[in-house]
Amino acid sequence: MSSRATSALLFVIAAVIVSVVGVILLARGGTKPGDTARANVSNVGESQVIEISAKGGYSPRETAAKAGTPTILKIKTSGTFDCSSALTIPKLGYQTNLPPSGETVVDVPPQKAGSTLTGLCSMGMYSFTIRFE
Amino acid sequence: MTAAGIQTYTFHVNGMHCKACVLLSENELAEHAKVVSAKSSLRTRSVEIRGDFGDRPPEDIAEELSAFLSEHSLSTAVHKRQVDWDEFGVAVPIAISCAALFVLLQEMGIVNLVSGDTVTYSTAFLVGVVASLSTCMAIVGGLVLSISATFARLGDRTKPAVLFHLGRIASFLVLGGVIGLVGSAFRLNSTGTFFLSLGVALFMLALGINLLDVFRWSSFLQPSMPRFVSKRALGATNLTHAFTPALVGGATFFLPCGFTQAMQFYAVSTGSLVAGALTMFFFALGTLPALALLSFTSLAVRTRTKQGAFFKTAGLLVILFAVFNVANSLAAIGVIEPVFNW
Repeated sequence: MSSRATSALLFVIAAVIVSVVGVILLARGGTKPGDTARANVSNVGESQVIEISAKGGYSPRETAAKAGTPTILKIKTSGTFDCSSALTIPKLGYQTNLPPSGETVVDVPPQKAGSTLTGLCSMGMYSFTIRFE
Repeated sequence: MTAAGIQTYTFHVNGMHCKACVLLSENELAEHAKVVSAKSSLRTRSVEIRGDFGDRPPEDIAEELSAFLSEHSLSTAVHKRQVDWDEFGVAVPIAISCAALFVLLQEMGIVNLVSGDTVTYSTAFLVGVVASLSTCMAIVGGLVLSISATFARLGDRTKPAVLFHLGRIASFLVLGGVIGLVGSAFRLNSTGTFFLSLGVALFMLALGINLLDVFRWSSFLQPSMPRFVSKRALGATNLTHAFTPALVGGATFFLPCGFTQAMQFYAVSTGSLVAGALTMFFFALGTLPALALLSFTSLAVRTRTKQGAFFKTAGLLVILFAVFNVANSLAAIGVIEPVFNW
């Protein structure tokens, strides 16, 4: 097979693989737990408590919370041994290794309306955001 | 037979990629009885030979002298080094396919295979397997690929890869024990981690660009010893050639792979030398299959013709991994919003 033909064939195969992957990603896109409005936010007295679970990523990925309120972040782990246990919240300068199973509490000072807080694993491959309104 | 006297011939040297090649080729050619002197140039990838070969045509001389070279071959055409764009026709689609499969692998959430509350040694092993298939592949795997492909190009195939893996596993065993005993790990803060991963990404980028063989100047991106040192220590070069892969393998213990850190955290919490050592040892063992696969792909490509395409593919993948790592590092430090979220 001439090199031109080999190359053309490989490009076709690559296009097929990329399309298949693209389709799979789009299909799964609908099942992401990003639209669970305020399901993980609760109020305790003057503060709001936001629960995030960390295992193979963070869930929910997006949270909507109240601005100008002292906030407590509760991170739950259960048999978590992946990158999500190496949590970092750049805005707060917060960095820790979560225990494999348990609950870790992070105190977050009141945030301005319209701001977001992002938490990531140390490699940046998993993240969660909290929008303060 | 007319005695033509000493003449000067210039030959193109195939496979000359580094400063060590210059030295090696000169030394080897000088051993030929008829060669008076040999002077190689990395810049022009050619060698100037002075010797008395009588009337023989250059092609014959080139062929005879090639037999003296262990790593290279000579050809009479002193042409400007051509970029083999054809090889990109093979390299680009393969690299794209691999990247797409990598993305798919991450999206599939293979991480969720690991569960259970306590870390047993088999858990550690499983975490290692998962880690080597995750973003960590872009960090550690990318490094492995870039180094092994570069060494393969220099003709050194199995030894550096084996030494790398041995060094890595040994270091995880020993350092795992150390942190278990000492009860605290070498924890870099975010800034430190950022600069470390940035450094690794830049290193990979340099090796990746060099593997592409597109730019003349890129051969100088390859880390090597300065000439005046290697001239004196050609024997020692081989020694450092042996040590370097093992050292780099050992240094991977400190690479910012989230899974490694999670395991190290656990090792520290055991407070025990043995538990710490064995946990990290089994973790490293878990990462071995995927990493070994990456490093030994260079062995699978035997024929000369396929080699060029392989190195370009490796170069492209390494560059993609490097860019991926830079994006992730910038996100982890809060400079940019996370680009990838599996």
